[in-house]
Amino acid sequence: MAASNIRTKIKAHLHLLVTVGPVSLWILLFVLAPVAVIVFISFLASDPIGDILPQLSIENYRFLLFGESEYARAVLRSILYAFVTNMACLFIGFPMAYWISKYGGKFKAFFLFLVIVPSWSCYIIRIYALKQLVGYPGILNDFLLGTGLISSPINILYTPAAVVLGLIYIWLPFMVLPIYASLEGINPALLEASLDLGATPRWRFLTVTLPLVKGGIFGGTILTFIPALGDWLVPLLIGGNRVWMAGNLIEHFLVVRGKIAMASSMAVILTAAVVLLIYMFIKLGGEESMERIV
Amino acid sequence: MKVLTARRINTLLAIAGYLFIWGPIVVLGIFSFNSNAYGVKWESLTLKWYVDFFHSPAIIKAVLRSLLIASITTVFATVIGTLAGYGLFKYQFTGRRVLRMSVLLPITVPYVIMAGALLVFFTRIAHIPLGYPAIVIAHISFSAPLAVFVTLGRMQRINWSLEEASVDLGADTLTTWRKVTIPLLLPAIFASAVLIFPWSFNDFTVTYFVAGVGTTTLPLYLYSMLEYSLKPVLINVISLIFIIVPIMCILLVYSVRGKRKHNT
Repeated sequence: MAASNIRTKIKAHLHLLVTVGPVSLWILLFVLAPVAVIVFISFLASDPIGDILPQLSIENYRFLLFGESEYARAVLRSILYAFVTNMACLFIGFPMAYWISKYGGKFKAFFLFLVIVPSWSCYIIRIYALKQLVGYPGILNDFLLGTGLISSPINILYTPAAVVLGLIYIWLPFMVLPIYASLEGINPALLEASLDLGATPRWRFLTVTLPLVKGGIFGGTILTFIPALGDWLVPLLIGGNRVWMAGNLIEHFLVVRGKIAMASSMAVILTAAVVLLIYMFIKLGGEESMERIV
Repeated sequence: MKVLTARRINTLLAIAGYLFIWGPIVVLGIFSFNSNAYGVKWESLTLKWYVDFFHSPAIIKAVLRSLLIASITTVFATVIGTLAGYGLFKYQFTGRRVLRMSVLLPITVPYVIMAGALLVFFTRIAHIPLGYPAIVIAHISFSAPLAVFVTLGRMQRINWSLEEASVDLGADTLTTWRKVTIPLLLPAIFASAVLIFPWSFNDFTVTYFVAGVGTTTLPLYLYSMLEYSLKPVLINVISLIFIIVPIMCILLVYSVRGKRKHNT
């Protein structure tokens, strides 16, 4: 009896080792270890060229947050742009999700598919597409000039507005999906009940539907706010390197200037902001917002 | 009447949203047939750029590199990710919550942070050469979590009594896995692979950080084309090909799922 008991125990451990073992090891080696390394490096001093010195210091943080205002401003700008992007995605994405859920009928999957597909094509290409359309020289400008609707070209490239437009364009699909999933999860009996109890459609929408999709809205917020906050390609390609966000600072310090410690500090600051925001969104949106993001 | 207007407004807003998402892509596709290589003015219809595309060894090489990386990543990440999803669903163990949260890390934290961390780790600590090894390792870190969560999602809808029945009827663990568990997990495995392949193929940020010099994947090549404005119209051509690949992948999933529903 004891022997077989031990055997089942060993077997259970073996199962666990085979199934979750590889990913645990992988995550430990290639996710947690690198994160630990940059957190450590972020507290090291560096020599004038940017090489790290074996000496603890919080100089990097001081420099980024309180030193040259250009850098602190990039962090604040990221938060502002991410917020605007998030709100715009909500206002564009909610009607889309609602429409698919309510009027999609037999083609719900197809309409949803139309939202997802672009998000799976290459990022660079989507930015280029937007640039080619709204930039100058650009197709829209060309068309408007040709028809005489405008007399001089409108150039929005390399402006904050263009960067935010790019961010909205890239991250919009990630707002639609969680809201749609939430809407689909609503028990139709609740909606009927509210009508039976005398609510007008508008009142029902505000007092029944909207609270019920809170989880989806905050799930979508996590999926748009966070990546927009860490975006560096949109500001690089559409902002033309004139409108820097926090992600650009990481790339700049790490790849261009080789200042590892500074880049690490920037990454830690950004991660702290991300963790704080995710925590806040989950607190506001409840457990469901967590489920909706995966 | 009031309901009808609300519906109409909703429809208009939805159409506007779709136009916003698809407009730039459709225009990009149309302009890939434009004979003018630089300008945005429409000249005349041509297939010249498609011929150019297939005659440019640098682009073909970049495509092949991307395909190679995406294939290795997909196989490896799908296998370990599915196994972990299964384990996380089936077994209770210490550290389960921690593992779930850690797996979530690479897909919720902005790529630029994790990619930067990996670059520092590869060059300073682990001494893993940049290029193929670094790219594949990094891609697996980001895509195995996708497989974990796809599997976890699907597992809730699977009838596990079949697996128990197999054990009760005397099948050993390996036979049960081979004959029951893996067939049950097949849709999840397939969905993961279909998600991971285009992710890896299209990824720019992670690859950019750990590619080093010389391993130019297709997205990196596109980036350099954009930066140096080399025949921008070729990007239109490539984009048409890029958008077709994910569409085919997803259509495949839908058709397979449709058939499965039909069978059962």
